[in-house]
Amino acid sequence: MPIIKRFFLLAAFWLLLSGHYDPLMLGFGAFSLGLVFYISIRMDRLDGEVEYITFGQRVVRYWFWLVGQIFVSSIGVTKLVWGKTSDLSPSLEKVPATTVPDSTQVLYANSITLTPGTLSVDIEDGDITVHALQKKSLQELKEGAMAKKISEIWKKER
Amino acid sequence: MSILDYFSAILLAGGVFFSFTGAIGLFRFPDFFTRVHAASVTDTIGVILIIAGLLLQTSFDLNIIKLLLILAILLLTSPTASHALAKSARHGGLLTLAESNRSNDR
Repeated sequence: MPIIKRFFLLAAFWLLLSGHYDPLMLGFGAFSLGLVFYISIRMDRLDGEVEYITFGQRVVRYWFWLVGQIFVSSIGVTKLVWGKTSDLSPSLEKVPATTVPDSTQVLYANSITLTPGTLSVDIEDGDITVHALQKKSLQELKEGAMAKKISEIWKKER
Repeated sequence: MSILDYFSAILLAGGVFFSFTGAIGLFRFPDFFTRVHAASVTDTIGVILIIAGLLLQTSFDLNIIKLLLILAILLLTSPTASHALAKSARHGGLLTLAESNRSNDR
């Protein structure tokens, strides 16, 4: 990320969160911006490898879809909570994560955890170990609607 | 009360209901892994609905951005925390319900 862009992002962040626009507060803002820049430029020089997570429209588009999924599966889990506990069929299985682009594997695992009813326990060699409340939600995961959505949104990157 | 207040009340009530469901599930579900699932209901839909309800309560000002930031940060951190819990339980040798039933049968 170019330094100018980073400057505007951080300045906007300060202005939005503070809400006070008198000289003293703006001065504090300028001071902390300077401090953050000094530290981060020093860190980048020491570290060398700087990788940024892209936080653009893609994420927003994906989140809207994800919130829909969360609603649907929450209602499923809610039924289980208030229903008989014998309806539970907890199971653990490996789901391949190689179907999504490499840079989004963490996002995929996080989304699996975020939708109630499925929980990613481990990532190993491109497989995500998933624990699910019901066997059928594991099957749905394997059919790959979520993986398809992710690779659909992120494939344009390359 | 304006119409927005009614919407906000419905959203808040929904959020409270789902958070409560998560708490009940925490007690009713049989083992550690299934309980994490119950807690994730509170983490996700409960938070989303409550923050949506609060968004309708504010006038159009900076608080909206603060609330959205809270939502974004919660939606990023809570699955990470659940994953960390489950992973360490798994690596620490805790068996899932199905696995421990199988080893009891033998």
